[in-house]
Amino acid sequence: MLDLGILGDPAFVAVQCLNGLTQAMFLFLIASGLTLIFGVLGVLNFAHGSLYMLGAYLSYTIASLFVGRPSAFWVALVLGSLGVALVGGLIEAVFLRPVYRRAELDQLLVTYALVLIIGDVVKFAWGPDNRSISRPAILAGSVLIGGRDFPTYNLVVIALGPLVAAALWLLLARTQFGRLIRAAASDREMVGVVGADVSRLFTGVFVLGAWLGGLGGGLAAPVGAIYPGMDVEVIAESFIVVVVGGMGSLTGTLLGSLIIGQLNAFGILFFPRFALLFVYVLMVVVLVVRPWGLLGKPHTR
Amino acid sequence: MKRLMVLVGFVLMVATVLGSAPAPAAAQEPIKIGVIYGLGGSAAPYTKPAVTGHEMAVEEINGKGGVLGRKLQLVVRDDQSKPDVGVREARDLILKEKVNFLTGIIHSGVALAVSEVAKEYKTMLLVSIAKTAALTEDKGHRYAFRSASNTLIEGRAAAILMAQQPFKRFAVAGPDYEYGHRMGEDFVAHLKKLRPDAQVVVEAWPKFGERDFAPHFNALLQAKPDMVFSSIWGGDHIAFVKQAKPYGFFGKTQYLAIGQGDLDVAVPLGAEAPEGMWVSSNYTFYHPDSPANRDFVAKYKARTGDLPPSGAAFGYTATYFLAEAIRKAKTTDTEKVVDALEGLTVETVHGPLTMRAYDHQSNKGQYFGRLKKVPEHPFLIIGDLQYIGGEKTMRTLDEVKALRGQK
Repeated sequence: MLDLGILGDPAFVAVQCLNGLTQAMFLFLIASGLTLIFGVLGVLNFAHGSLYMLGAYLSYTIASLFVGRPSAFWVALVLGSLGVALVGGLIEAVFLRPVYRRAELDQLLVTYALVLIIGDVVKFAWGPDNRSISRPAILAGSVLIGGRDFPTYNLVVIALGPLVAAALWLLLARTQFGRLIRAAASDREMVGVVGADVSRLFTGVFVLGAWLGGLGGGLAAPVGAIYPGMDVEVIAESFIVVVVGGMGSLTGTLLGSLIIGQLNAFGILFFPRFALLFVYVLMVVVLVVRPWGLLGKPHTR
Repeated sequence: MKRLMVLVGFVLMVATVLGSAPAPAAAQEPIKIGVIYGLGGSAAPYTKPAVTGHEMAVEEINGKGGVLGRKLQLVVRDDQSKPDVGVREARDLILKEKVNFLTGIIHSGVALAVSEVAKEYKTMLLVSIAKTAALTEDKGHRYAFRSASNTLIEGRAAAILMAQQPFKRFAVAGPDYEYGHRMGEDFVAHLKKLRPDAQVVVEAWPKFGERDFAPHFNALLQAKPDMVFSSIWGGDHIAFVKQAKPYGFFGKTQYLAIGQGDLDVAVPLGAEAPEGMWVSSNYTFYHPDSPANRDFVAKYKARTGDLPPSGAAFGYTATYFLAEAIRKAKTTDTEKVVDALEGLTVETVHGPLTMRAYDHQSNKGQYFGRLKKVPEHPFLIIGDLQYIGGEKTMRTLDEVKALRGQK
């Protein structure tokens, strides 16, 4: 157990807080796609972590095509996440569309099968080795916060989280597409009756969710290792975020990410050997006290 | 809502048991060797080349007529790095495939579990990678051997090295499971013996597969250690280094990364690896500069186009230990091969290695040094390299006997 006197050091606390915030924004970017897909399609997409992994691998491959150019990372991020969105569209059309009317367990098994398929495809295409790409040169350095180094890249991630959240909110609240999505989330038959093309709408939502997963993977690629199996960790964490925040609620997902990020950052100071405990305890408490999550709706379906 | 909760529970459950599908392998008569590894996830960069290493050795041996006039044949199974799966595969290999011997295993938990199966069925198991010292110490028995180094050998060697340095304030970090904790304990125990003034000022135990290490290393730095002893490995090490660098971490403390001089992480990290970082390594293609190692490097390159990572050397070495033991025993009878393997010395890519008769632990040591850039490779290699042999740090026979007697 650490000497808690360090909490009296404002610069340390600030940096630790920013560390928690960075983690939170990564979690939000990834989990937002998961919650969006669940909220509208009612499908718990177990393969969301696989889309994240695919985003990281595609970014790696595209970045290595443009290696040496300052734009390599950005091109890779944009094209990689779009590639994942495309894969998402195919997945929705081919595998999910036939099972919407089936039991939730069937849908879950389909997405679980996709986890295995994508996992094997990745192993086949990229092999078992660890991969890694560099941060873009412009973001490779750090800025001083209270006399301490903090990576510029992390600041960008921290800024990107709220941006994506705002963009999603605008999309859902202010556009025709968003209105239809919200309508479909509460009553999909009705949306069909009023003449909207529900199946195209669903594909659109899944593509958007997949894009978010791919974007998360692309953004995480330069600050981690890219390897087969990176999907598993991420899906477990995303589910915890979504369960805590409330299934299907974007603001809940944001809140859940923020809480879990800070809980991780400060939990390890108290119990370095049991830091994860806090997160699981939080999840259990939420499930017992408020099973629909902090900002979820009690009777979704 | 209830159904939803069931679903969420199911998802989380599946998430924890998820692995890759088993890799089937053909099987027929000769001398059959069951090979068990976690072939997916973060173990894959070690275990895929390890299988290649086993295959290379088998092809060389079979090319020269095999052992006792019989060919060697490998039956490879995936334990998904899970003890229960390892036990199931080991039983299946013994009962259905009727293998003569078992080898492989990277995951320490799997090694301990399969070792119990080996004892139960009196089938010889030669562990090729997994490092928990318990396997050959307190949990050792007649049928379990290890050709690799172990946490005690490596932890003590690191302690010897660190005790020579002016470091006093140590941090201990590692992945939060058997291997990490065992490595940390073995290091600290020996360090305190050699340097009573050394103190552990902070610990960090990120979970294995952690994505975000920043909260951990920020807390480490806050305690102002002179040296961080870390057994964080593989993809986790890559993530740690990449994330810690822009925080100025490696300018503020020294860092010893156990096992991370291996190519499995050196190549993907490339020039991003911090120069001067202390590392140990299981195997290097550049040392020893012996005919055996040069020959091995050339063959691996010809076969795969790559330099051999440590996994390849693990598999290759284990296979030769096994083949030599069978040759010496002049039979595949388990009891006789166990006797033959006890005390056996084999010429390997690391030089001659000896399997100690009493505890079945080889004297394989580890390579230590500090990372340096070299013009001929796009990645950092180990400078000031020194090999600390296992015989220098292994527990004495009395120590092992005491450990086993305590049971």
